[in-house]
Amino acid sequence: MAFVPGQPVTAIVQRIEIHKLRQGDNLILGFSIGGGIDQDPTQNPFSEDKTDKGIYVTRVTEGGPAEVAGLQIGDKIMQVNGWDMTMVTHDQARKRLTKRNEEVVRLLVTRQSLQKAVQQSMMS
Amino acid sequence: MTEPPSLSAGAEEEKESVPTQLMKHKNEVGVASEELGSTNAAADQKEQTTSEIRQGCVYRSSGRPENTDIIKSVVMDQEASRNCELYVPMSSNRSAMESSEESEEDMYRDEEEIQREKILLCEANSSEHKPSVSPEMDIMEYCAKEWRGNTPVAKRMRKGYEAVAQKFASIRRIRGDNYCAFRATLFQALSQATQLPRWLQSEDFTMLPENLLSKYDWIKQWQLKQKPGKKMGEISDEIKEYLILLRKKWKNISEIKSPTEKQEACDKLFKNEDEEYSLYEALKFLMLNTAIELYNADKNGRRVPVFSWLLFARDTSSNPCQLMQNHLNHIGHSGGLEQVEMFLLAYALQYTIQVYRLYKYSTDEFITLYPNDPEEDWPVVTLITEDDRHYNIPVRMCQETML
Repeated sequence: MAFVPGQPVTAIVQRIEIHKLRQGDNLILGFSIGGGIDQDPTQNPFSEDKTDKGIYVTRVTEGGPAEVAGLQIGDKIMQVNGWDMTMVTHDQARKRLTKRNEEVVRLLVTRQSLQKAVQQSMMS
Repeated sequence: MTEPPSLSAGAEEEKESVPTQLMKHKNEVGVASEELGSTNAAADQKEQTTSEIRQGCVYRSSGRPENTDIIKSVVMDQEASRNCELYVPMSSNRSAMESSEESEEDMYRDEEEIQREKILLCEANSSEHKPSVSPEMDIMEYCAKEWRGNTPVAKRMRKGYEAVAQKFASIRRIRGDNYCAFRATLFQALSQATQLPRWLQSEDFTMLPENLLSKYDWIKQWQLKQKPGKKMGEISDEIKEYLILLRKKWKNISEIKSPTEKQEACDKLFKNEDEEYSLYEALKFLMLNTAIELYNADKNGRRVPVFSWLLFARDTSSNPCQLMQNHLNHIGHSGGLEQVEMFLLAYALQYTIQVYRLYKYSTDEFITLYPNDPEEDWPVVTLITEDDRHYNIPVRMCQETML
């Protein structure tokens, strides 16, 4: 999953559909994100390529909506409800995930284990 | 203090309507009677970074603290012990009122916390040059520690911190003397500095004190900071030194490429030593310079920002000379920065200072910008204040947002 700015990205993705949980006034998803084009990418422990400024899942709350939907720590979020997440600021990413009128968000995520699984099945 | 192990689960005690914080506190029935007089109750208000008046409640075996007998003890907080003056923040009065409203909340720290604080106090007393800016700490953890309880104020503070936590992951406490606004602003500015601001680049920047003194004789009454043992040189020479130091430090730090190294350099600079305080004096002088510029511009009929009118509308500062005598000379000693002076600071630095004012949560003043209509290319630094008196800084090192 090499990341070269300016080059089209090819990745094996998994669809994750998160149904947000209402807690009082808020709709929570149950995970944390890190990254963004305005952030320092060298601090991301999950990216293969340390220049990758994409949005990564840094924490998943146990039993929360994200975990239930299959999201995993270390996942890179490529798209949210059709909106690209590979070239956004941290705050833009947050906004796209926390729209008040959206109870469901459909993510496309990629993770290293997916890549490896496909490679292995191709080789056998 | 010994803890009866069978009660540590708190199961039996939970029958009474006890808030969840009680689980942390192991002061159980009968045991805490040894604590009379030595217990410091943090009450439901925050432990402030400067010395404060803490209220202790007499703990009776009914299991609830009684508010009728109140023991007041003045505790020198770890950071205050480094300051020579006793800084009693305004909000200590507020604290007194709040604790009397709150009778349900358990106000005791448990044994672990007391031990931890004792160790911290020993460390603090032994070293003189502790950092002026504490290491970062998770915002919500900090908030949970400082604001327990359910008074409207505590709730508002917690909501305020939650809002800050949307954008920032951590908070760093700033030493709470009357320089804290300078400290917070300068620290934030330097932490993200990648170049010298335009006004620092100008050739005759260091000629400023000489130029102004030749035009305005009253500047001779400028209050230089007291340096023990060192002879006070000519005012303009001293101030020139401070300005040179400011430029040097800014230049060095802005040239550091790596964000972590830059952060380290800032931590090293803000170590409660002479250098740090020289920088604040430089900032004060720059504020005076800006004030003079604005005052003259206004007199000559040129447009000035609104805060400039407010600045000079005060009885105590109807002109730059009074501003110096009654305000600037006192900053760092007997007073901090008033709000209108925050505007002046922002203008002098050509930075936008964005402040989360937590006590204004749910009003449109919650996030206040100094100045309100910022110029496009002025960099933004962010501060947090609970009461417009003491400032801390939010930092983003963890770059994580909880959703």
